Amino acid sequence: MKIKVEAIKLSKSLSDTLEACRYCFMCRQACPSEFISYRESDTPRGRGIILQSVYKTGQEYTKSKIEAVYNCFVCGSCTSWCEGAEIGHYDIPELIKFARRDIVKQKLMSPAVEMMCRSLVENENCFGQNKSESFSSKIKETEADVLYLAGGEVNFRNNEIAEAMLKIFRYLNVKVTMLKDEPSCGKILDLLGYQEEAILKASQLAKRIRSTGCKTIVVSDPLILHCLRNDIPGWAIDLNKNLKILHSSEYLAELIKSGLLKLNPVKEKVTLADSEFLGRYNNIYDAPREVIGSSAGSNFAELKWNRDKLLCTGESAFIHDDKVFSFGKKLGEEIAILANDIGAGTIVTLSAAAKNNLEGFKGFKALEISEFVAGLI
Amino acid sequence: MKLDQSSYMFGMILFELQDVVGKDCVSCRDSDKEVYSIDYFWIPEMWADRQKNNNITRPTADFIIHPKNADEISRILKIANNYKIPVTVWGGGSGSQGGALPVFGGIIIDTKRMDRIFDIDQKSMTVTVGTGIIMQRFEWELEKSGLSTMHDPASSNCATVGGFLANRGTGVWSTKYGKIEDMVVNMEVVLPTGEIINTLPVPKTACGPDLNQIFLGSEGTLGVITKVTLIIRHLPEVRKFRAYIFRDLATGLRVGQRLLEKNLQPTVIRLYSESETKELIKKVLGIEREGAYMVFGFDGSEEMVDLQMKCGMEIAAEEKGEDLGEELGKQWYKNRYKFFFPPYMFKLPQCFGTLDSVASYTNIQGVHDAMREVIETRYPMARFIAHFSHWFHWGAMIYARFIIDNPPEDPEEALYLHNSIWNDCLRAAIKAGGVLNEHHGIGIKLGRLVPELYGDSFIVLKQMKKMFDPNSIMNPGKMGLGI
Repeated sequence: MKIKVEAIKLSKSLSDTLEACRYCFMCRQACPSEFISYRESDTPRGRGIILQSVYKTGQEYTKSKIEAVYNCFVCGSCTSWCEGAEIGHYDIPELIKFARRDIVKQKLMSPAVEMMCRSLVENENCFGQNKSESFSSKIKETEADVLYLAGGEVNFRNNEIAEAMLKIFRYLNVKVTMLKDEPSCGKILDLLGYQEEAILKASQLAKRIRSTGCKTIVVSDPLILHCLRNDIPGWAIDLNKNLKILHSSEYLAELIKSGLLKLNPVKEKVTLADSEFLGRYNNIYDAPREVIGSSAGSNFAELKWNRDKLLCTGESAFIHDDKVFSFGKKLGEEIAILANDIGAGTIVTLSAAAKNNLEGFKGFKALEISEFVAGLI
Repeated sequence: MKLDQSSYMFGMILFELQDVVGKDCVSCRDSDKEVYSIDYFWIPEMWADRQKNNNITRPTADFIIHPKNADEISRILKIANNYKIPVTVWGGGSGSQGGALPVFGGIIIDTKRMDRIFDIDQKSMTVTVGTGIIMQRFEWELEKSGLSTMHDPASSNCATVGGFLANRGTGVWSTKYGKIEDMVVNMEVVLPTGEIINTLPVPKTACGPDLNQIFLGSEGTLGVITKVTLIIRHLPEVRKFRAYIFRDLATGLRVGQRLLEKNLQPTVIRLYSESETKELIKKVLGIEREGAYMVFGFDGSEEMVDLQMKCGMEIAAEEKGEDLGEELGKQWYKNRYKFFFPPYMFKLPQCFGTLDSVASYTNIQGVHDAMREVIETRYPMARFIAHFSHWFHWGAMIYARFIIDNPPEDPEEALYLHNSIWNDCLRAAIKAGGVLNEHHGIGIKLGRLVPELYGDSFIVLKQMKKMFDPNSIMNPGKMGLGI
């Protein structure tokens, strides 16, 4: 498939990234996508060469080049492992997002990506499920100081996480509400290259948030946290600046610190799979450790690779129709090996996606952090 | 042989290859052809960069294949022989000599699916591993048991074990633990005609020539190394380093030589020429000094390390080295890979190359001076830096580099300038007692100079090639062995 493309221009910083990364091999060992396909085109360098061919030497996008751009998990592992990134500010995920936006702008995206977009726009989830199947379709929206946003994966697939979180709120007598038919935040659309649609979704979500009059938002999905803290201000969408926006792990850590929440001790070894969107993009590493540590104490053990060095839990290995980008389990397998190496009985995750990718492996159980906490009160 | 992708014959051969490895493990995708047409050699990088304004192209493979074992490779090679299709082996593709480039098209065998660790024998202290494993990931696995091959080059992040074997690679601890070729116990190799052979179970025999040594450094021209048993070690209790500034390179070279002569076992000795001390050491470690920067270090049990360090420090003091202390030595260790990351590493449009060579202690300074003189007298647009990073009882390796900040825009002129520098510098190095290369290999970059280096004995390499690979399908155009 050969398609004529009028390439859009790279910014200076993205151009610098392209120039630095296109022939550099030094983060190969940290790129999770290569160890799924073993293809050179599925490495940061490979993608750099492909994007160089389009944006610097004027070649056309082809089907396989587009596929390579979408095979990236935008997890930022490459940047974390780059010893020059601190002074060079190289950002492969941003470069990939730019390329995807361009691909979408030129209408070159694959039918699968298009379907995913349609599903998100029409039904607030990328799984192709009907809106009426969501957890939030069954709730009654009320007025409350605390708004809990579950996120697409929790809302449509992992209801147990929302139930665990609501159990914690009830236990603490916190008045909380959810949004009826919770809209998506647009982050997945943004990551797929549909920025206009993403901004529209984020605006709609912001409007619904404003209407609740809440003072604190607690989210289960790291992608929503990233959107509320970074994208919404960046897109100049109106949202109360005094709103406190917390991931559930941060919220729980605050409660534990203030003495309002006390967890029963766990006796088995517990470990944590850091989240790429909470960690690498929002520097949230300590809160989940404080939560787990308050219960596990010395039974908490770090994975060999942790914090910004954990490769990827697959938070943007989106699944549609159980097929597209269905590499999450492969990513989970890498982390499962690390968990088994340290003899962990439980691995705590910070997203539904990570939980799903880590479930079903021998030797340990995977619990999202609110489930972990709800089981200890 | 360049195949027309639109012909049914292309489809027929593709089908045969897919029959061996499965449909998903053969790629003819343009994205892969693009990416597998560039390794770490400056020429294809420059060529790709300048493609926009020039009517130039890069040679690409017809098929990129991801086999999972020796048997599949054997069957691929038999097909390649049937149709006389060139075969180039690709590990990490991070070689700097163009050795993995499919310069005559045909098949690329990407070995990375062969990444299994078969056995760790903690009694014999050996490990058997598929050669497609990325070195760093291999080391991470060994680390879990407190073990290491002690092969730790900057390219660990990106190169495969097979790539090191094929190019006789080395790592920062080579002065104590040797180059990769010193770590090999035995190997499984697929010959160009498809036979799968195993070398003897142990290497130190008196049962004729060591077959391992035939395939080590053969750069995929004599077969494909698919499995290897390597020596492993326990990770050391401690590693200690010390940094010094010596008044000049000659003094530093003498210190290095004396450390070995005294039968100390330094794990590492790195000596930077005055110019590299000024340029790179300042940039990466922030040390601004005149003279030659040196780090040496020891590993093992703390008691042994401290004793050896004491002896090493005495030698350095006798040579009037300025002791920069342990901390700056540690800093080098911490940052030892940083030199190869952007923005520290040289990059296009700069023209640059690593003229690594090796010579006896009697000749090593002469090799350095000869190459520096070539750059300074014939190429005023270039600058020359060097360090000495792998030391033997009889001599040392020089890692010299030339850098041109503004090479010619025209790709053919740039190629001419680049190759002229290599020819002139390496001919000067050979004349002074050096060789073409110490641990990066020959590839397409230096192949033309191999007959000059070997002289009368080149016929041995030629005849070996003819015997092993009668149809000359394996990595044609490389190592000076023609097509």
